[in-house]
Amino acid sequence: MDRTKHRDRTFARFMVGPAVTLLFLVTIGPLLFSLAVSFTNLQFSTPQPMRWVGIDNYSTLLFNDSRFLSAMGRTLVFVLAGVVIQTLLGFFIASLLLKVQRYRAFLLGPILIPSVISSVVAAWQGRMIFNASYGPLNDVLAHIGIKGPAWLALPQTALVSVFLTDTWQWTPFLALIILAALQSQPLELLEAARLDGARGWSMFRRITLPLILPVAGVGVLLRGVDLFKTFDLVYILTQGGPGNSSETLTFLTYLQGFKFFNPSYASAMSFIQLIVITIVAKSYLGLMNKRGAI
Amino acid sequence: MSKRSLIEIARWIALLGVLVVLLFPLFWIIASSLKARGEFFTRPPVWIPSHPEWSNYPDSLQRGGMKGLTDSFTIAFCSMAVSIVLGAPAAYAIARFQVGKKNLAFWILSIRMFPPIATILPLFVIFRFAGLVDSYAGLVLCYTVFNLPFAIWILKGFIEDLPKEIEEAAKVDGATRFQIFRNIALPLTAPGLVVVALFTFIFAWNDFAYAVIFSGSNVTPLPVVIAQFAGGHEILWGQISAAAIMAILPALILATFLQKYLTRGLTMGAVK
Repeated sequence: MDRTKHRDRTFARFMVGPAVTLLFLVTIGPLLFSLAVSFTNLQFSTPQPMRWVGIDNYSTLLFNDSRFLSAMGRTLVFVLAGVVIQTLLGFFIASLLLKVQRYRAFLLGPILIPSVISSVVAAWQGRMIFNASYGPLNDVLAHIGIKGPAWLALPQTALVSVFLTDTWQWTPFLALIILAALQSQPLELLEAARLDGARGWSMFRRITLPLILPVAGVGVLLRGVDLFKTFDLVYILTQGGPGNSSETLTFLTYLQGFKFFNPSYASAMSFIQLIVITIVAKSYLGLMNKRGAI
Repeated sequence: MSKRSLIEIARWIALLGVLVVLLFPLFWIIASSLKARGEFFTRPPVWIPSHPEWSNYPDSLQRGGMKGLTDSFTIAFCSMAVSIVLGAPAAYAIARFQVGKKNLAFWILSIRMFPPIATILPLFVIFRFAGLVDSYAGLVLCYTVFNLPFAIWILKGFIEDLPKEIEEAAKVDGATRFQIFRNIALPLTAPGLVVVALFTFIFAWNDFAYAVIFSGSNVTPLPVVIAQFAGGHEILWGQISAAAIMAILPALILATFLQKYLTRGLTMGAVK
């Protein structure tokens, strides 16, 4: 028996070995390398000798770099607004689809298209639709008597445009997850609750929400993480501008690393992001756990 | 009219509104890909081009679109192959032999949470030394960062759903562990392999963040070609829109014909 067990283990290691090695080489390895670099003053732009600088990069970032701190604040607002608004819209679409059983499969395909196309294409259509003079959005607005702003060129609306494009692309994904969660509700339970007089909001809060939370919660978490990483849309729609008004954390990190050639500083930045993501995701999971959702 | 049918009508109006909002941008790209140059600069804008300007398509292929298509295809296909060849055995071992207990599975999932920029930066430095920047192998390697964990995670779910009895019976009949994996478990996870193949292909095909940083004059995947077009001095609206339409074709095929696999892939297996 022991021998079988032993051979089982050898076999299993042989099977995971290649995948784990490769993953280690492309994730943990570079990450450790990056951690080391974040404690140096490595720069590509100036030929200064590399040396250890301890936590200098981190303390500059957290206490002296207003551009970084405002990007952090902006990104957190972006994530929060995105999660709330996209979840609500997703729930709305899912509950519409839930009621049209016969046509659901037929409708789901077209509805999901935005979520499976490349973000570059989403960004490109955003460029055309938000175009101030020749775009269809301002044309439609003009018909109802509103003078549309120069969406991508104004500091007040640039990030809003990025946000709208992201919402267009990813609300269908949340709708899909929430729909699946709604479909998995046991009908007997709903019927029993209805007989007991549960209606509307109390029905939703006490019966539906706890039932859909385990599945929907995972989707919301994935979405939150992806919103935090928003890069492609910013790159193509606004390049972070005008000024720094639409600069997200990942975009600023990209600028530091690849445009300002400052890898040590950018590494420190990406570690702070990693820590923030971990803390937010952990506390979110903790919250879900407390509600008995996961 | 009864209250019930009024609600029904309101529901369909709302659904129609949702569809219009979600599909309008795609209509706009298609229309734009068929507009002549002058039709991009009129107020009000041209909604439907009077004479479809088909030449935008060959023109965009000529200006780098063709290279973009073939590069994207090569890289996405290789990434898919690597993910399946390495991911399937790993998923099997994790599902059936609990190798690494829960930690390994959790680690693999948490890679999904990484901001790509955290690995892009050091990978770039390492790839520069190894001569992997602006190479096919380099991008394929990059895509394993998200495709391989995805493949392992999804296949693990599929394998766990398989009944163990068949494999146990084969064991009694004297099949080796690898034979059981290859001849019994693997064919039974065919639907899982389809999901993984489709999505790893699409993820690599759609990616921009890695592509824009690790590509150069040798390798230019389609999204990078589109971004370069869009960032140039003279913006070729029609040609870029044509390239964008070509870039969404695989995803359109997925959404239309393979819907039953869509949910499981998009939700990382959370929904079956």
